[in-house]
Amino acid sequence: MKMLAVFVGLCLVFVFVWERVDMVRVGYQIERLKHDKVVLERERDELRVKFSALSAPDRIATVASEQLGMVLPQQGQVIVIQSRSNGAPSPRDTPVEVRIAKNDLSGGRK
Amino acid sequence: MAGSLSRGRRYFVLLLLLCGFGVVLFRLVTLQVLQAAELAVKADRQHQKTVSLEGARGTIVDRHGKVLAMNMEVPSVFGVPTALDSPAKTARYLSPVLHVGTDELERKLSQDRGFVWLARKLDPEQGRRLGHMLMDGIGVVMEGRRFYPKGPLLSHVLGFVGMDGEGLEGVERRYESLLHGEKRVTVLQRDALGRTVFPKGLTEQNPASGRSLVLTIDEVIQYVTEKELEDAVTRTHAKSGAMIVLDPQTGALLALAISPRFDPNAVSALGPDRWRNRALTDAYEPGSTMKAIMAAAAIEERVMMPNTMVFGENGRMTIANTVIHDHEKLGWVSFAQVIQKSSNIGAAKTGMALGDQRLYRYLQAFGFGQRTDIDLPGEAGGLVKNPRDWDRRSVASISMGQEIGVTPIQMVSAIAALANGGVLMKPYVVSEIRDARGRVLQQILPQVKRQVVSPETASTVTAILEGVVTDGTGGKAAIPGFRVAGKTGTAQKIDPRTGTYSASQFVGSFVGYAPADNPRLAMIVVIDEPHGEAWGGTVAAPVFNRVGEQVLNYLGVSSNEPVKLVMMSESP
Repeated sequence: MKMLAVFVGLCLVFVFVWERVDMVRVGYQIERLKHDKVVLERERDELRVKFSALSAPDRIATVASEQLGMVLPQQGQVIVIQSRSNGAPSPRDTPVEVRIAKNDLSGGRK
Repeated sequence: MAGSLSRGRRYFVLLLLLCGFGVVLFRLVTLQVLQAAELAVKADRQHQKTVSLEGARGTIVDRHGKVLAMNMEVPSVFGVPTALDSPAKTARYLSPVLHVGTDELERKLSQDRGFVWLARKLDPEQGRRLGHMLMDGIGVVMEGRRFYPKGPLLSHVLGFVGMDGEGLEGVERRYESLLHGEKRVTVLQRDALGRTVFPKGLTEQNPASGRSLVLTIDEVIQYVTEKELEDAVTRTHAKSGAMIVLDPQTGALLALAISPRFDPNAVSALGPDRWRNRALTDAYEPGSTMKAIMAAAAIEERVMMPNTMVFGENGRMTIANTVIHDHEKLGWVSFAQVIQKSSNIGAAKTGMALGDQRLYRYLQAFGFGQRTDIDLPGEAGGLVKNPRDWDRRSVASISMGQEIGVTPIQMVSAIAALANGGVLMKPYVVSEIRDARGRVLQQILPQVKRQVVSPETASTVTAILEGVVTDGTGGKAAIPGFRVAGKTGTAQKIDPRTGTYSASQFVGSFVGYAPADNPRLAMIVVIDEPHGEAWGGTVAAPVFNRVGEQVLNYLGVSSNEPVKLVMMSESP
């Protein structure tokens, strides 16, 4: 009986110590993961800022005109037209908008 | 003999043990009882670390979710001068990475202090290079830094933040209470090496981030507006310029541009003169653009109709000992032509027919002399004198846009009311408030201020203002394929030296909307002190035209003019 009591006591002490050690171990793990999360969040934010800066209209216009040789359409060269999905015009149809660059408009607007 | 010796030794050993245990017991009692409280505090101090945490400042995005301002954690570098052996050597070592002069770094590191900032809120790239160079006496802490990834785009609306992250101008300032993150103090447990183990009580929660804002601004429209305004200011060698693009049906700002621009990422070297939002803070005499408002009042009150004939006095009329001139000698003309040809004499006569009280009432109704209450800081109310302070020529002067101070936001709001069937809307720039996860917490809806004139009057004035563009002074604002309504304005500035109207300093402006039959845009262009020809129709109307055409195309607004498309195939 005495032996059993000593054994149970030792087991309880072991469980208590094991639990404390494991808590510390998990604590370190959590801290490491939190640190990783912070690093990844910083990286994500940095990429967001970079993406946003790279997609700035100022920059796109500069790249388009200086590197790709693109030019803005002249006045009247862009025409927004509306077409309907089926032949018969109906006020309930959702207009489909198509943008085209005008190459030639014979008798067009001046 | 041997037994007594053995007993003596046993007692001696026992005594030694008792003494030993006695010492241990005494120490135990001293530590656990006598010094318990003091040592517990000391232990806590060693095992616990109190850190002050602050949630990230909220992000600002445009109406399509494009990021305009956001926070990022970046390194700040500090030094502990008392822990350094050679400040000069350390300064030389760090200077190229921190981009701070060697002399300045050495001066800081030679101070007799325990802590000194060496460089705050560095670029992430600098932080990465610095990571390999840290030494005893030099440390790094992470701080939130505000980034404006689009550079100068929308700078006068966004504003900027101070070194400690507090909003100082623009939306950043107006919505400071929502944007800033929560501040919280947390206690963390640490081990013998100073590493954090876990928070005390396991109840740690990160501080809440600030709210994010969705603006009504469209990044593309803003870019087009800024570019065209900047070009016009450069071309005319003007002192400055302002332009606003508004949705007349809601009052939502689509773009607000000021020239010259500034970069909110590097604002420390600039003064308020550069970052002031002139479209809200600076009142100017509107000149002839005021005739559009006066025309609406006169038609609403049935004082004038478009075909009412007015005698132009052949370009010269005297009111209260002051001679009023027209730039074109007019005889009998219709009221519509008075507006289209921007006749000062016709406007003065109309104002006098309307009378001071009615004119004043309509000025107030259109929102002049009071703030529009747009959700941006620093707005001025403009200047509209009370009729009891008017002199004998005030009615005539105000009808021509003199003796009155308006801001560009007031003028564009007033003209937008005409585009919106006579309903004045409150202009606004923030459309949604969201939490850090992007969930909408509050949606800001358009607000009607009041019905200023009837829809019929608004429609009649629109037809007259269309004539300004087709047959009058605003021809250069015409957008091919669209009906445009608007009014030019050219106002002399007051010369501060003489207190009289300057002969060389003008404000040229154009205010209007398009398409006139179903307005999608209300716009104002104000060019301050252009050199050379300063007419509003010459310096401001072309900007309206260029921005209007590009923005209408961008919004997919189709032309109401029939076109013939010819499909061309390449010849072999």
